[in-house]
Amino acid sequence: MAADSPLLSVEDLVVNFRKSGHTVQAVAGVSFDVIEGETLGLVGESGCGKSTTGRALIQIEEPTSGAVRFQGTDLTSLKRRELRQARTGIQMIFQDPISSLNPRRRVRDIVAEPLDIWGLETGDQRTDTVNTMLEAVGLDPKVAGERYPREFSGGQCQRISIARALVMKPKLMVCDEMVSALDVSVQAQILNLVEDLKARYGLTLLFIAHDLAVVKNVSDRVAVMYLGRLCEIAPSDDLYHHPAHPYTDALLSAALEPDPSAVRERVRLTGEPPSPINPPTGCRFRTRCPRAEARCAEEMPELVEIAPRHQVACHFPLLNTGS
Amino acid sequence: MTEKTSTEEFPFVDEHSGPLLRLTDVNTSFHTVRGEVRAVSGVSFELARGETLGIVGESGSGKTVLSRSIMGLLPRSGVSQSGSIVFDDTEIVAAPVATLRDLWGAKIAMVFQDPMTSLNPVVRIGRQITESLRLHTSMDKSEAKATAISLLEQVGIPSPVERFRNYPHQLSGGMRQRVMIAIALACAPRLLLADEPTTGLDVTVQAQILDLLTSLQEERRMAVILVTHDLGVVATRTDRIAVMYAGKIVELASTTKLFANMAMPYTQALLNSTPRLSDPSHTRLTAIDGRPPDLIDPPSGCAFSPRCPYATEQCTLEAPPLRAAVGDESHLFACWNPLPGASAGAVLTPEGAS
Repeated sequence: MAADSPLLSVEDLVVNFRKSGHTVQAVAGVSFDVIEGETLGLVGESGCGKSTTGRALIQIEEPTSGAVRFQGTDLTSLKRRELRQARTGIQMIFQDPISSLNPRRRVRDIVAEPLDIWGLETGDQRTDTVNTMLEAVGLDPKVAGERYPREFSGGQCQRISIARALVMKPKLMVCDEMVSALDVSVQAQILNLVEDLKARYGLTLLFIAHDLAVVKNVSDRVAVMYLGRLCEIAPSDDLYHHPAHPYTDALLSAALEPDPSAVRERVRLTGEPPSPINPPTGCRFRTRCPRAEARCAEEMPELVEIAPRHQVACHFPLLNTGS
Repeated sequence: MTEKTSTEEFPFVDEHSGPLLRLTDVNTSFHTVRGEVRAVSGVSFELARGETLGIVGESGSGKTVLSRSIMGLLPRSGVSQSGSIVFDDTEIVAAPVATLRDLWGAKIAMVFQDPMTSLNPVVRIGRQITESLRLHTSMDKSEAKATAISLLEQVGIPSPVERFRNYPHQLSGGMRQRVMIAIALACAPRLLLADEPTTGLDVTVQAQILDLLTSLQEERRMAVILVTHDLGVVATRTDRIAVMYAGKIVELASTTKLFANMAMPYTQALLNSTPRLSDPSHTRLTAIDGRPPDLIDPPSGCAFSPRCPYATEQCTLEAPPLRAAVGDESHLFACWNPLPGASAGAVLTPEGAS
């Protein structure tokens, strides 16, 4: 695959849920590419559809419409058996490290499970692979391998989840809030580990989280979601220094920095995101937007490029160049 | 909006003199099947009237048990407690429930992390606010209702008259936390204990709730203890910060001093492992190896020594006492090898800690 070609390409993804007679549009037409070797961060507040987007990529949540092209193949068009084969190249890490591991199996067998399911490796070869992966995530295979998940802390369980994901030699890892349940000091260990493994195994990452500082730390590019739609996508430093969407700006100014002298110009949002059962017409952010005008209620803004690799979906973006 | 700036002296002194709250050598342990868990050990500090103190620590550091000890909210069995917690002349340790009932809601109030489980799901929110007003004040039903509606308005709940009749499930997480704050503030307490009040809320809602707490506190000249794992939450909203590790206060200083001149390697490690928006992408975080100790069998000496890059033999043998920095009696830390720029003076006895 050529450099800069997308490993994953999401086109107009829509995911609807039926809930007591209502249709909830959790993801309402989202398109983005993930370039091979990069980390794309996906941030947004709860209910914005970021996790549903992640799950829809590997079809745990069936997309209502749209295409998910992975290495050129549209995963939504595949039959069940083909889909299972195709998505071994994508592995997912979930938020709760403890409940995503089977409590009755030894760590060694948890990590080897994908190999067993696919009948890929047996005997010494299987043992070697498991040992290598446990070592890669910073666990001692001799000690950790024979134990059960309950004997490990949250951070170590997350390491085990990563080892299990890596065993299939994935191209793409989808990390859904993988560090949000961890303490700060452990979170830093896992974030550093992710960076190391990405370099070592040539991984591409989709990193979904609500914490802006965490996302910025690991991502090359960041996409911001609000109520099922993408607001803005840009290279991380660009997005954080020159946010163009009023929502990105508000999110950044609400973030708390561990620094008493950090003075930010505060853009305060009032209220809370509206219900996705009955989203506002036009731009979905307009009900809380300080810049909203009549046009925002009538016309839904599409993502447009305002600078190289910097796209924003807003009729009245913030186009200041100073920071 | 109403960002707090740290001041050397706390301007809110009400009619009483002396500290609002004084903790002396507080120890709280739980008896479990595996042994005794020393959740809080040897904690001493004073809280001035109107002051905001941040208590920062990771999970298992004892911060929540400490705040529940101050509240007198520990289970009656399986717990042993020693030391003294004096709130405005009332001793809380081993106080009879009747004494505590007079304090709860009226003088000390608490806001918990999870508003859904702390609100009664089958009682309308209005009634949950008026309950303590009817109990602690002489208000009649209609006065209490009027006060409750005004409180809902003060905490920023739109159409408070209609909301008064809602049940908790009809409100969003941020709104429920506002209701919790309204309940806590109903009887104008002198001290508000906020335990992770914004954890689990969205970033934009978190900012709203913290702003609300700050402005209500200033209006009411109420003291606040803000318990959190997040240094970002306390950095701009507290007068002083206490850092806890393995059940002990390991550093206590004014917020500006703590960030400018921290002495305890754990405080530094906590700060350095927090990702910052101001750093460029892919900035390598300084992670702390290992994890917090088991409080049933804590390491000998300093509890942080197994993870501390500056640890010496002394650290593994002898637990460092909480001492004041040379030339600054208000900056306390417990470390044998403090970071450059900080050096320790005399050991403070629990009685002398302030």
